[in-house]
Amino acid sequence: MSGADQQSYLDLATQCVEKAVRLGAEWCDVVTGTGRDIAVTIEKSGIKTADAGQGESLAIRCYVGGGMGYATVSGRDRHDIDEAVQQAVALAKEATPDPNFRCLPSPQPRPEVEGLFDDTVAGLGVEQVVAIAVANIEAGKAMEPDVNLSGHVGLSVGSGALASSTGIALASRATDISADISALLKRDGDTGYFYDFDFGRHLADCQLERVAESAVEGARRFLGAKRIESRRMTLVLGPLASYGFLAQLVAAANAESIQRGRSYLCEKIGKPIASAHLTVVDDGLVPRGIHSGAHDGEGTRRQPLTVIEEGRLVSLLHNSYTAGKAGVGSTGHGTHACGISPTNLRPALGERPAAEILREVQDGIYLESGEIRPDPASGDISASIDFGFLVKDGHLVHPVENAMLGGSIFDLLERLDAVSSDAREEPGILMPTLRIQDVQIAGAE
Amino acid sequence: MEDLARYLCDLAKRRGAEFADVRVVRRTGESVLVQDGRADKLAASTDRGVGVRVLVGACWGFASADSLERRRGEQCVDDALALAKASEAFVSDPAMIAEPTTVEAEDRSDPQVPPGAMPVAEKIARLLEYERCGQAAADGDGRFVNSVVSYAEAWREGVLANTAGTLVRSAGSRAVATCLFVATDGKILQRGTEHRGIVGGAELLRQTEPEAFSGRAATKALAALKAKPAPAGRFTVIFHPSITGLLVHEALGHNAEADAVWAGQSILEGRLGDELAAPSVSIYDDSTLPGMFGSFAYDSEGTPAQRRPIIENGRLVGFLHSLETAAKFGARPTGSARAQSYDCRPIVRMSNTFMAPGPDGVGVPLARMLRGVDRGVYLEDGHWGYVFVQKGQFICHAGQAHMVENGTLGEPLRDVSISSMTLDVLANIDAVGDDFEMKMPGMCGKGGQSAPTDCGGPHVRVTDVVVGGQNAV
Repeated sequence: MSGADQQSYLDLATQCVEKAVRLGAEWCDVVTGTGRDIAVTIEKSGIKTADAGQGESLAIRCYVGGGMGYATVSGRDRHDIDEAVQQAVALAKEATPDPNFRCLPSPQPRPEVEGLFDDTVAGLGVEQVVAIAVANIEAGKAMEPDVNLSGHVGLSVGSGALASSTGIALASRATDISADISALLKRDGDTGYFYDFDFGRHLADCQLERVAESAVEGARRFLGAKRIESRRMTLVLGPLASYGFLAQLVAAANAESIQRGRSYLCEKIGKPIASAHLTVVDDGLVPRGIHSGAHDGEGTRRQPLTVIEEGRLVSLLHNSYTAGKAGVGSTGHGTHACGISPTNLRPALGERPAAEILREVQDGIYLESGEIRPDPASGDISASIDFGFLVKDGHLVHPVENAMLGGSIFDLLERLDAVSSDAREEPGILMPTLRIQDVQIAGAE
Repeated sequence: MEDLARYLCDLAKRRGAEFADVRVVRRTGESVLVQDGRADKLAASTDRGVGVRVLVGACWGFASADSLERRRGEQCVDDALALAKASEAFVSDPAMIAEPTTVEAEDRSDPQVPPGAMPVAEKIARLLEYERCGQAAADGDGRFVNSVVSYAEAWREGVLANTAGTLVRSAGSRAVATCLFVATDGKILQRGTEHRGIVGGAELLRQTEPEAFSGRAATKALAALKAKPAPAGRFTVIFHPSITGLLVHEALGHNAEADAVWAGQSILEGRLGDELAAPSVSIYDDSTLPGMFGSFAYDSEGTPAQRRPIIENGRLVGFLHSLETAAKFGARPTGSARAQSYDCRPIVRMSNTFMAPGPDGVGVPLARMLRGVDRGVYLEDGHWGYVFVQKGQFICHAGQAHMVENGTLGEPLRDVSISSMTLDVLANIDAVGDDFEMKMPGMCGKGGQSAPTDCGGPHVRVTDVVVGGQNAV
């Protein structure tokens, strides 16, 4: 997208803000932009389909007396856009006035975040995306001729603008490219299944052609699953599982949920919530990071934020509304639709490698991947061990079938006794291995 | 819309597509969210566009644009053809379709209260009434710290045309209402939720009585404050119809989607005709049920809606088919191809999926089901679930539960999940209830798309299910 195109979106956003203010909006901001994507689907170890989409969108947020109205529209039909502006203002007038609303963000010095757009990715056509998919299929079949591969290779290229009644006028653009591949092996009634992925904003940051190899290797390891008996065990979260676990935890540090009193992290700010081994930084400024950006969805500049420091909850994620309500500055985690979202998570690494941490486990579960989703209010966990192994005397013995884990998020965090010194790294994100002692496991044996 | 769809189909055919279909869609939506006594977030949306799918040789191509301009549609045709041709040489499983039944039809379901007919202020007032009703449930032991009540409606007009001559004009709306109450006793927080969804409009707000909706959600949150964590281990469990719904949707339904079966990704591959459960177990997917959240008259390929048997009398009798999977299996299309909107390809989806109640004389009343359990768990208030169809492992989450001891409901348990293997759980159903409920409207995710679905059934009893509790038995 050219500079002239970016200016045209900025002009459109500014015009909409001005119109909304004329119609009675006291505060207003508009995001608009365009995006295109290509996605190639792999099925039965071949290409299934190739899809492409292109679109423009505009979203407008208006406040009257603190009451909020929001409208979205796709395309660039001027009649639709004008109608959206009128709807947003009218809805803001219908909303209940909110004395807790202070203001939308003002213009701020903008940090430079290198590497959010890659001309190489932007220049790729469907032939190149198909070639990446085919390279994965060939690599996977070279390892296991009868492997059943499925998944996607895709890219997106986007560009947009944000303007507000406070004078914010920002343009940005970004690319991303990704591959996710699942591998399924069947051997005499046994099934081995696993997946892997790679992604980045720059093609050079990815090894997209290697994803199938990793998925096939995983599928081999997950052959021969067995059931286990229920008991208390050590739980080791591999990089994929630890990322999901910590992402849920940091998302719970959402100031809106805490101010509303509905989060298990209510009244925990400043207090220990985990063992001292855990420090997690949210950093939206990492160069080339997949969740990086100079500003959030409201135009607040992003900043590195230590959320958990040596086990203590030290910061909440704020948008402009929750920051105003609390009388603090926004941390730059706002979305335009009034939400709050984490960016790149970077846990502090420990002192010993994952292999060493695992070697000390006498009786445990190694969770390679799985969704540990605490109840947002109580923090109770009752989760399936989706992809796990039994660990005996420091070694992975066999994959586990049909087992679950349960407990309170706080019990698990308190019993966290190791963070690895090595980690899987994806653009912007660090995923170490975590070890948690004495976790209730339910088995089918 | 109709002219554009026909024109693009013809264009695709002239430019080399062996088959093409075009979906033109315009959607508008409105939502209201009330929180802590305030109309907190009011929103509106407008979306329109065209999607073109072509079959060239052995491969599909699909392209979409957010515009109803003819030139953008023409570009979609060219892009879709180019995408298919770019991929064709690498196809291992050639695409094909069953001969479509040519349909020219009008599928219009006007809501009792059309979009925009109920003023926003009236919607807000109704949601505030729901909130007050829930708040009134507070008692001496528990108080509410947060309540969120929301309503959303979406109106959709569309045209589907294909090169076989099908033309379906559709118009209709869906409406959903949800509420969340968070209660505390000063020590812990617990949630209670309720959801309603219909094919229709704001009549949902007139039909939904506060006591049965927000009053119920609030009561659940208060009850959970007094509940204990569930035990961990293997138990005989009794599923409330909402959990039975999750079971048939997650554990069986996704495995019965023929695209997964054909791709070798389902544990039901090669099992058609096999006896998988007791003769009292019959499971269907049915998009013809009037007003149900997953219902529709024609699928996104123009195949008429129908009732689709999956398991009858314990035997696996059928899968859910699109035009493509029907051709590959030599089966009849079942009207199960659904696209989220113009910018998505149709894929095989469920609609309203349910287990039928046990036949007369076979169906077991809940009281008798309980009597057969010395120590087990009763699960209710189905929340969510997911499945890995490749290995048939699934999880279902219950918002509420009770211990079952010596044939009676015992102490309350708070939210807990169960997990099992699909084929095991089907084989381990040892009692099917004589009752029936299907009240689980929701959005099912698959392949990056969402589809409105519902699910339900009778109470069922299953042996040897893993309960993900917090303490040893």
